[in-house]
Amino acid sequence: MSLFWLRVAVFLYGIAALAVLPAALYDRPRWRHVAIPTATAAFFFHFVSLAEMLNAAHHRLPVDAHELQILLALVLAAAFLVVNWRYKTVSLGVFVLPIVFLLGLIPAFAPGQQEPGLVLNSSIWIFLHIALLLAAYAALFLSLLASVLYLVQERRLKQKKPGLRWLPPLETTDQIALKTLLFGFPCMTAGLLIGSLVAQATIGITYFRDPKILLAFAMWLAYVAMIFIRRHSGLRGRRAVYLSSFVFLFILTVWAANQFSAVHRFTAP
Amino acid sequence: MSQIKQVSLVLVGVNHNTAPIEVRERLAIPAGRLADATRTLVHQPGIREGLILSTCNRVELVTLQEDPAESSDDKADLLRFLQEYFSVPPKDIQPHLYEFREREAVRHLFRVASSLDSMVVGEPQILGQVKESYTVAREVGAVSTNLEGLLQRAFTVAKKVRSETQIGSSSVSIASVAVDLAKKIFGSLEGKTVLLVGAGKMSELAARHLIQQGASSILVANRTQSRAERIAADLRSAATHTEAVSFDDLYAQAPHADIVITSTGAPQKIFGASHGQHFLHQRRNRPMFFIDIAVPRDVDPRLNEVEGCFVYDIDDLQQVAQANLADRSREAEAAETIVSREVDKYQQRLQSRDAVPAILALQQNAEAIRSAELARLQSKLAELTPQQREAVESLTRSLTAKLLHPQLTALREAAKSRDPQ
Repeated sequence: MSLFWLRVAVFLYGIAALAVLPAALYDRPRWRHVAIPTATAAFFFHFVSLAEMLNAAHHRLPVDAHELQILLALVLAAAFLVVNWRYKTVSLGVFVLPIVFLLGLIPAFAPGQQEPGLVLNSSIWIFLHIALLLAAYAALFLSLLASVLYLVQERRLKQKKPGLRWLPPLETTDQIALKTLLFGFPCMTAGLLIGSLVAQATIGITYFRDPKILLAFAMWLAYVAMIFIRRHSGLRGRRAVYLSSFVFLFILTVWAANQFSAVHRFTAP
Repeated sequence: MSQIKQVSLVLVGVNHNTAPIEVRERLAIPAGRLADATRTLVHQPGIREGLILSTCNRVELVTLQEDPAESSDDKADLLRFLQEYFSVPPKDIQPHLYEFREREAVRHLFRVASSLDSMVVGEPQILGQVKESYTVAREVGAVSTNLEGLLQRAFTVAKKVRSETQIGSSSVSIASVAVDLAKKIFGSLEGKTVLLVGAGKMSELAARHLIQQGASSILVANRTQSRAERIAADLRSAATHTEAVSFDDLYAQAPHADIVITSTGAPQKIFGASHGQHFLHQRRNRPMFFIDIAVPRDVDPRLNEVEGCFVYDIDDLQQVAQANLADRSREAEAAETIVSREVDKYQQRLQSRDAVPAILALQQNAEAIRSAELARLQSKLAELTPQQREAVESLTRSLTAKLLHPQLTALREAAKSRDPQ
């Protein structure tokens, strides 16, 4: 049944991803009234599907790549809906909704059998560790997206071609970029902290000699530095985008290292 | 209307395309006299319903007249009304007068309400003016079923045009373009500070637009302090803090402003790139928008290259306004399609309505025959139980309905396919 709900959710995300195009690009309120309720309904079915999937598998945390992918899509969809509710802009949906749709597409229509990535005891702490880190990644992704939109809007205004109505105002994108960063920071901090405590309890101190774990803490430091610079120097525009891109690439590297490296698979010894 | 046999929809008027201002101003009806004029119009012989639309760009009479076949010349009647009411000789009006009937009158009214016939296509005021005329006409009892239906449809069409096209979404005046640009930078203008440098009509107008959009603080700097104080007093309102600042303090005050509007007569630039860098540093990189309306310019164009500073001079604003106007023209094409579709729908509905009397007559005739036949057989049916009697009633009704169905359908189809004219 969970697969059915996931397919419904993906189908609705597809509709929302299409409806958001005229809603944002051509400023058609009617399409906005299609896109947002459809995305909200998709999010609901997505959540039901994930809960059922985990329940049916007798565990409380996503253990394979597909489940993680589904959780990441859910977090991204939630982030988009919150930003839309808070800032009344569907523009980010032009990029976020297709990504959510694509993230859900393979697990929904070609589920296959995935190798479990995690065989740790399925405690709520591990679930929190994963969910918080995914929330931090989603926040950083939205922040980067908002910064890029800021840059495009700024460039058009500078070139005296302010024709793209769908781009949010500069202050709005700047606020989204900063607020999502500020939201992502406690998520990342708590996610890493919980992960470290669980690792220390189950694996011991050797866990912290793993270069990828050190890389994860370096990522956290980069995140702290970025927030510090943005808040204390009022960094905006091009330089803010470069900084966000750098940290985002760093985080992608850490993610890739954790996903593909054989050195450490987050498994108990 | 021809479909409702006894009446005909006639619209006559003058507008900015057909009549110069000298003619329009002689026919213009002040708001206070509109009720009286409408009342006088519907008291003219042959006029059943009527409405007068009077704006600075048009005066139009929308009338529903009795039996066009018997009326000698509707236009002449309305011309006589104009001549008598405004004391304007017919020769002064007639060359500028246009007339639309039936379908074309419906189309014209839909176009007017949708702002497709306005001087500035897409301007929003016209719909309010049509609604105002309608309210007055209703109050004096000059509109009932037919015009009521037409006007309600016109309002719906206008709303549809606004929501389905972007005809009114872009600004076409310098002041509103400046406000739009400010919104693209700051989003909401609530709580924003505007600095007016120099005193000019256009900069004052732009400042008023910004205040309307929520700007909460206006600083005015002028070489003549008394002039600055007068402008500050003019712009003051309950929700807006205004203050005249000394021109010598200009560079100290500028970093407090989110929007700077300059319109001095200074021969040299007042703000350069270095000023922009200094202001941005003090503002911790919060953006600044410079609107330079002065000729020669007050703001060095290189200031636009400073990250976070946006400079628009009068030519830039005009170019944006022109581009927006071109956008509106493109959107107007889509709006015309909507209007055409809605005119067709409206006409079809009217034509369907025309078939109603014939349908009713046919149904009544059939029912009369059915009842008569049942009455004739009364004695033979007397022995039936109430249930059997009910079954016979039901059977005869069903038979009548089925026998009539093809004729009724044909009547409806014939009404729909009839030439609307």
